[in-house]
Amino acid sequence: MTWSLFAWGDAGWGDELVRGLAVTLALAVLSFLGGVILGTLAGLAEMRLRYVGRVLSVYAAIMRALPELLVILTVFYGIGPLVRLGGQAIGIDGLGLSPFWAGTLAISLVIGSYVSEVAKGAIAAVPRGMGEAAFALGLPQRRVTRLIVLPLALRHAWPGLTNLWMVTIKVTPLVSAIQLEDFIRAAGTAGQNTKHYFLFFGAVMVVYLALSGASMIAQSRGEQRLFRHIGRPSP
Amino acid sequence: MRWETLVEHWPLLAEGAVNTLWLTAATVLVGFVIAFPVALARNARNRLPRSLAAGFVFVFRGAPLLALLFLIYYGAPEIPLIRETWAWTLFRDPIPCAAAALSLNSAGYLTEVIAGALRSVPHGEVEAGKSLGLTRLQVFRFVKLPNAVRAGIRNYGNELVFILKGTSVASLVTIMDVMSAANQIYFNTFDLWAPMLAAACLYLAFIGAITVTIRAVERRLRVPGH
Repeated sequence: MTWSLFAWGDAGWGDELVRGLAVTLALAVLSFLGGVILGTLAGLAEMRLRYVGRVLSVYAAIMRALPELLVILTVFYGIGPLVRLGGQAIGIDGLGLSPFWAGTLAISLVIGSYVSEVAKGAIAAVPRGMGEAAFALGLPQRRVTRLIVLPLALRHAWPGLTNLWMVTIKVTPLVSAIQLEDFIRAAGTAGQNTKHYFLFFGAVMVVYLALSGASMIAQSRGEQRLFRHIGRPSP
Repeated sequence: MRWETLVEHWPLLAEGAVNTLWLTAATVLVGFVIAFPVALARNARNRLPRSLAAGFVFVFRGAPLLALLFLIYYGAPEIPLIRETWAWTLFRDPIPCAAAALSLNSAGYLTEVIAGALRSVPHGEVEAGKSLGLTRLQVFRFVKLPNAVRAGIRNYGNELVFILKGTSVASLVTIMDVMSAANQIYFNTFDLWAPMLAAACLYLAFIGAITVTIRAVERRLRVPGH
């Protein structure tokens, strides 16, 4: 095994791998944020709107059942051309979904469908009196949700959300199926050129394990902070 | 979307469905065979097997399935122990590679499911068994195991769904599963929605079957009056 394979510049594959890792991390962060926003809105809608809520919960259940790869391919090959046609219809040429944004949209939809379940449980766990007290003090309903209910719900949602962050990280390699130069694809290119597949994919494994280890540490730190007022680690 | 696409190409989807089911079955079997002893080690009183099992869970739960699959599929030929022994007849083919990656990945999750279910059996019941004069093996077989199956069956069902969904990743190493079949029909006909919708319906049907089966088992295992 030679470390020079990981060298920077033309001599090794270090810079290509780091660039791929940056793409993977950006994709993971954006998809997770998108998923949390979509899922929280969907969760609220499922609890408070009768008809829209029911449609959304069936949609989310189907989304959770489909393989992530199928969602990614369908968004890239199906929604991408639709966006292009839509752009042409309103007179903007060259609009479309790049592999990066198609991947972000697809993973956000998948993660959002799981987040909506977490959000529903967490919101239901917030004592009703909390929201009612804020409402009685004169806060409009919308601000009660935003300022009181959601921040309190975060405590209950934290384990579920951090779990989904780790799911997000582990789903991202699938975007290499839509030709995005992410971390694992960069490793594949390096392996193909040097015939050291085991080394490069082994490095991919190690980096992903480090990410998941770091996420576990962040999870327990965050939990300690969220529950510091009662001095115990979990609800 | 054209229905003719499906009328013309359904044999490919059928082949894909068969391969997806085979791959799922192999993973369920091998995954369990790996996970059961590791789960016992995870609950062991001795520290060494316990931390080894924890390491196993960390590695195979923390690494993405695709990374594991590529490591085995592309990396195996570089290992002399595999390249020069009988194992090569196995790992030359993409299907055993996918089954190995899927099994290890699911064993990571399954270990925690099984170990958690075994731990959930109340200590009092184990002590009651001992006080009746049962041997350690009998306590395990007649007290711990039945209770653990009852406690873990739902999580096990969820794991089965994840295995089925995971098999779609095998399409990235040239295996003709449902995902691969749909993809190929799309590239042959430029009709995206018909094959993708058909694939989605197949996956939903398989998952529906798993869910119904697990519910039935759960009902059957329920203790009357509980």
